[in-house]
Amino acid sequence: MKSAHIFLSLFFIACLAQVSFGQITGTDHDFSGRTWNSSGEICIVCHTPHNANGAVTGAPLWNHQVTGATFTPYSSTTLDATVGQPAGNSKLCLSCHDGTVAVENYGNVTNGAEFLSGSELIGTDLSNDHPISFSYDATLASTDGGLYDPTTQTSGLGGTIGDDMLFAGQLECASCHDVHNGAGYSNFLRKSNSGSALCLTCHNK
Amino acid sequence: MKINISLLLYILLGIPAFVNSQPIVNTKHNLSVSGPGSVKSTIETEVCVFCHTPHNSNPQIPLWNRNNSSAIYTIYDNSISNTFNANTGQPDGSSLLCLSCHDGTVALGNVLSSSSDIFDGAGTKMPAGSRGHLGIDLSDDHPISFVFDAALATSDGQLRYPPVYPATLDVNSKVQCSSCHNAHNNMYGKFLVASNEYSDLCKKCHDMQYWNNSSHSTSSATWNGSGTNPWAHIETPFPTVSQNACENCHQPHSAGGKVRLLKSSLEENNCLDCHNGNVAQSSKDIATELAKPYKHDVAGYNLIHNPNETTSFASHVECEDCHNPHAANSALASAPYASGKLAGVGGVNQNGSWVKPISNEYELCYKCHADNALSVSSTTRQIEQNNTRLEFDLDNPSYHPVVGAGKNPNSPSLIPPYSESSIIYCTDCHASNDSNSPAGPHGSIYPRILKYRYEKADYTQESSSTYELCYSCHSRTSILSNVSFKKHSRHIVNAKAPCNACHDPHGISYSQGNSTNNSHLINFDLDIVKPLMGQLIYEDLGNGRGRCYLTCHGKRHRRYGY
Repeated sequence: MKSAHIFLSLFFIACLAQVSFGQITGTDHDFSGRTWNSSGEICIVCHTPHNANGAVTGAPLWNHQVTGATFTPYSSTTLDATVGQPAGNSKLCLSCHDGTVAVENYGNVTNGAEFLSGSELIGTDLSNDHPISFSYDATLASTDGGLYDPTTQTSGLGGTIGDDMLFAGQLECASCHDVHNGAGYSNFLRKSNSGSALCLTCHNK
Repeated sequence: MKINISLLLYILLGIPAFVNSQPIVNTKHNLSVSGPGSVKSTIETEVCVFCHTPHNSNPQIPLWNRNNSSAIYTIYDNSISNTFNANTGQPDGSSLLCLSCHDGTVALGNVLSSSSDIFDGAGTKMPAGSRGHLGIDLSDDHPISFVFDAALATSDGQLRYPPVYPATLDVNSKVQCSSCHNAHNNMYGKFLVASNEYSDLCKKCHDMQYWNNSSHSTSSATWNGSGTNPWAHIETPFPTVSQNACENCHQPHSAGGKVRLLKSSLEENNCLDCHNGNVAQSSKDIATELAKPYKHDVAGYNLIHNPNETTSFASHVECEDCHNPHAANSALASAPYASGKLAGVGGVNQNGSWVKPISNEYELCYKCHADNALSVSSTTRQIEQNNTRLEFDLDNPSYHPVVGAGKNPNSPSLIPPYSESSIIYCTDCHASNDSNSPAGPHGSIYPRILKYRYEKADYTQESSSTYELCYSCHSRTSILSNVSFKKHSRHIVNAKAPCNACHDPHGISYSQGNSTNNSHLINFDLDIVKPLMGQLIYEDLGNGRGRCYLTCHGKRHRRYGY
């Protein structure tokens, strides 16, 4: 009897602790092996400990050239959010993924030759991509009817959607993606999308 | 205390999963391995991915992830149904998204975000024969991708514009799959946007004249489980007629009968599936009547009836020629007025003009049996007339009182409550031979769909049975005791002449006969009554007196008087 209790307790703890761990090393975001990366460092392509670019809000010790492109945002008759130009950390992602800035344009480099292509290339036309850089709040959820209230709905990452997945109340690339591969899921997702669990975190369908 | 580990695991893991479950996850639109339906992937764990992608979608809205069908569709249009007033073309808008699975031409796992089939790696498509398989012939499906505006509602006359929410039109004011269906929400079944109990969803656009008072709208009849299931075409039928409402007869997808999306292409089967004693009560069992030798033979015609027909049409008969299934009800009436069973149907009035709805029952009969004369007299008479409208005209020298009270102020044989001022229905004579059967001339064991036996052959032995039809109103005792015509008994009993030999039961048109020669419905059967010296004459001399000049049974009547 007692052993059953212990077994169940351990099992329950294991269930709660269903968290994967990953690291950036070896991922597509690890550019340490590129010929253009003479330092062989991983972080340097995006970050620098000194003399960082402080021009972009929310850019942590930023070391990469920032895109100056004008983007076409997603729009739809059933979209209730107000979507403008990408901002916040999304603009950092797009500084490689819009295809206008070379991956190796970090530090003082401005004439790099490696640009993203294929499925990694988002481009400047974001009309076929999930909207970003919009305010996702209780009002939007109520207006849309098919979204959870981010202030109360849990994200599965520890707190509410608002706590864990929004940035100053905005939905950004980093709402779904962890550039550092912290969770270890494919496509740098922040949680498993098995059963579309990531989509259904916000979408009440 | 004994702990049931399985139960505990269920509580720990199962309940939280249930509480957090999403509607679409529990529907057939969850095509992933976790889906509840029979059509589901063997390899893909994501749900949304079968339709949506967060990046590189096409079309962009709504982040679409599927390769669309390139099919050219056969559509439901005016060539299918002449009562369809909208202009339709190839499907467009969001309906194309639905068709990228439901037309059965695109593999379920053919998505933009993957170079390989995500369903089972084998290119499996929507299985033919499944309810979800609409195919590329959409002419048996409710029309889509047409503009629904006030003009259409006006030209149709039985539409509600704008549609009542949650039935919606797209941004181009078009009806699309999404007008009725919400792919993400199956709380009402069939992914409908609202419950269709009592056809509430249909009625958000369709506003059928007379419907609310019709028996088909209010009947609580249920299927008794015998014979063919009348609701087999409905995936999840309700138990009663009123709840199934439109869908008792109509089928919005893959309809058996394309025209007006009826469940069966054989018009009468849409009615007889219920009116066979298995749903409608036995007093409305029409199928039994139509199995009799003499009937309005609705099974003998197919797809000739046209709801827009008025006074001119090819010969045919269908249930809908006499009944409006959107209107028929149980309201009672007295002759000559039409009862609720005939509510909302058109006919021809005594002036020969088209009227809809009819007021008098005979106006319905006139649609076919008056100027159209689609049936002809079975007796060769001195005066021929196949137009019943002329036979029953109140200006005629004599007629049975169908349009108004009769001409004869003294008819002593009438059995109360009948009197000289009575008005009767066509269906008082032409009806089922079984008094427990449904009213009306559906079918009879007697020729000309007569309610009782009416022998018209010469040398018939008189009995209460042989002329039962006449005797049902005209007292046999009175007739045979010669109260009206002094020689009745001698003719009918002794000479075995049938009533029909001298009397023309409908009437004699004033345009052909006159009050001297054709009172008392006298219009001789030329197969029995012959001219004498080239002359065949009956003369009414008034006061119950008259005389005949003719030959009958070899007997010369040289101005035989009485």
